[in-house]
Amino acid sequence: MEGRPITLSQCRMILRVASWIVPRRARAEWLREWDAELAFAWQISQTADQSSVGKRLRWRCCGAFLDAAWYRCNREDVRHTSKQWSEMPTFLLLALLGVLLLFAALSGDLPRMRSILLSPPYSDPQRIVTISRTEVISSAEWVVPYSWVDIWRRQEPALEGVAAYSWRPRGVAVMIGGRHANVQSVQVEDGLFQVFRVKPPLGRTFQPSDARGSRICLLLSYETWRRNFAGDADILQKKATIDGQEATIIGVLPARFWFPSSNVGVWRLADEKSLSGEVVGVIARLRPRVSERWAEWSLQRDVSNATGESFWGSSLQVWPVQERIRQPLFSYVLALCITLLMMTLVIWSGRLNLRLPGTGTVAVCRWWSFFAIKSLLLLLILLAAVVEFTPEPYVFPPGKATFIVESVSLWIFSAGCVFMLRWSLSDQQSRCRVCLRRLVLPAHIGRSGCLLLSWVGTELACPEGHGLLHITETDVCWRDPTQWTQLDRSWESLFSEESQSEVFG
Amino acid sequence: MDTSVKLSHTSALILQTISHGYCYGFDIMDVTGLPSGTVYPALRRLERERLIHSKWESEALAQERPQRKYYRVTRLGNGALVSAVKRYPLLERLAPETKTGGR
Repeated sequence: MEGRPITLSQCRMILRVASWIVPRRARAEWLREWDAELAFAWQISQTADQSSVGKRLRWRCCGAFLDAAWYRCNREDVRHTSKQWSEMPTFLLLALLGVLLLFAALSGDLPRMRSILLSPPYSDPQRIVTISRTEVISSAEWVVPYSWVDIWRRQEPALEGVAAYSWRPRGVAVMIGGRHANVQSVQVEDGLFQVFRVKPPLGRTFQPSDARGSRICLLLSYETWRRNFAGDADILQKKATIDGQEATIIGVLPARFWFPSSNVGVWRLADEKSLSGEVVGVIARLRPRVSERWAEWSLQRDVSNATGESFWGSSLQVWPVQERIRQPLFSYVLALCITLLMMTLVIWSGRLNLRLPGTGTVAVCRWWSFFAIKSLLLLLILLAAVVEFTPEPYVFPPGKATFIVESVSLWIFSAGCVFMLRWSLSDQQSRCRVCLRRLVLPAHIGRSGCLLLSWVGTELACPEGHGLLHITETDVCWRDPTQWTQLDRSWESLFSEESQSEVFG
Repeated sequence: MDTSVKLSHTSALILQTISHGYCYGFDIMDVTGLPSGTVYPALRRLERERLIHSKWESEALAQERPQRKYYRVTRLGNGALVSAVKRYPLLERLAPETKTGGR
C-alpha cells in the first residue's frame, strides 16, 4: 500500500495535464468534477481495499484526455476557440513558422539558402577564383574562349590549377542499375575537382586517362545518389546510361559539394573536342600569396602575348568564389538596411504611434521581442521565397543572365521587405500593448458630419480588457493620431468571459 | 416530421443507467463497464441535448470530501429513453438494477 499515495498524485497530475486541453472558461468546473470523482473513488478504495484500484483509477484519469478533447473540439466551441486562438500572438508566430517549414519542405531543405549562407564546401575557398572577361562599359560579356584556358594551363605562373566547364547546366536522363532519374548535368574538365581538392566518399574524381576512354564518365552528387539511387553502395559496379548512351560512374561527391549551381546532380567528363571552339566558364586555384589584381594582369598579358588580343574596352576579371556566392546576400542585406532605416525614420517622426504609455518594463520587452521575432520570420520567408523560387542565376561566372536574374530578385526582395515590414508594423499597431492579443470589437464613435466639433473614429478593445485603441477617421497632421488608452483593473469584470458569453452567447 | 432525439446504443445505455439512479460519472462506469473516455463525452452530449441535467451535490451530503456533480434525466430525456428502448430491445436486459437509497 506504500505506493498508493503516489497513484493519487499521479492521477491528479494526469487530470491537471488534461485540463489544459479544456477551454479556459470551462476548465475550473471540469477539473472540479474530475477531482471530486477521483477523491470519492479514492476514499471508497481505501475502505474496500481493492488491489487493482490504483491501475483502474489511472486508466480512468487517462480517459479525461478524451473528455477534455471533446470539450475543445465539440462543434459549438470550435468557432469560439478558433477565434480566440487566431487573436493570440503565438498563433501568428506558429503560422509564420509553419510557412517557413513548408517552404523548406517544398524546396528540399532550402539548398540555395544553405549554399549562400554557409561557407562553401571547398578547401581554401579564398584561393579559388572564377576568371571571366568583362567589358568595361557594359560589364556583360563574361565568356572566355577555350583556347585561352590552354594558354593559362601551359604557362601561367599565378595559377596552381585551372579547369574549364560548360557553364550552363542541362537536363539529362540517367539510368543506373534499373533506377531512373532526371537531373541537371554539367560538362567539366578532369582538372576541375583537383582545383577544388574534393575527396569523394565513394570512388574517385576524374583523371586525365578517363578522357581518353570510349565511355562517358560521370560523377554523382551526394543528394542524387541518396535520393534517386537509394544510397546504393555498389553503384560504381552497376551498368549506367546517360540519355541512352553507355556511361561509367566514377564516384560520388561529398554531401555538401555543389558547383556551379546547387541543383546539378551529375558531372560529365568533357573531352577536348566537346569544349574546343566553345566559350567556357573557367575556375582556377591561385598560388599562395598571389593577389587577384596581379593574377588579372598576368593572365591578360599571357593571352595578349599568345594571341595578340588587345583587350580594348574590356578586361579579365578574377573573382574569389566565396565573394561571388555571398554577393547576392550583401545586396539583400543592403536592401534590408535601407528599408529598416526608412521604417525607423517613419516611427521616429511619429507617423506610426507605437508608444506604450502606462505599461511596465516586462510588457515593453515582450512587445518589441514579439515585433522582432515576427519581422524576422517574415523576412526569412521572403528570403527563402526569393532565393529558392525565382529562376536560378548562373552562379559561375557572372554574366548578363546572372545580372538580370539577380537584379529582378533584388527588386522583388526590396519591394517584399517594404511590404512585410509595413504589414508587421500595422499588425503590431492593432494589438493590445499588454497581452499582445489582436484587438477586437470595433466600434464607430462620433458623427462623420461633425468632424470639426467632435472626435470621429473607431475604437478597438483588448479581449482581456487591458485597454482601448482610438483610431481617428481622418488625419489632420503627419503625426499618427492613433492613441492607446490603458484601462485599470476595475474594468476587468466587464471583459470577463462570463460577461462576454452573456453578450455574444 | 420526426423531432424525437435518436440516441446511439451507448448513449441510450448511459441514459437508462442514470434513470435507474446511478447518477455520478464514476458510478456509471462501474455499472456499465464503459471507459471514462466514452462515458464523459456521452454525458456532455446528453446534457447539451437537454436529455439530462447536472447539479453539484449539497455540502451536507458531501461532508468532508469535495462535492460531486450528479446527473438527472429530464422529461425530454425520459421520452427519448422510451423511444430508445423500443429501438434497442436488448437495452432492458443490459440495464442495471434500480439503485436503492443514496441520491
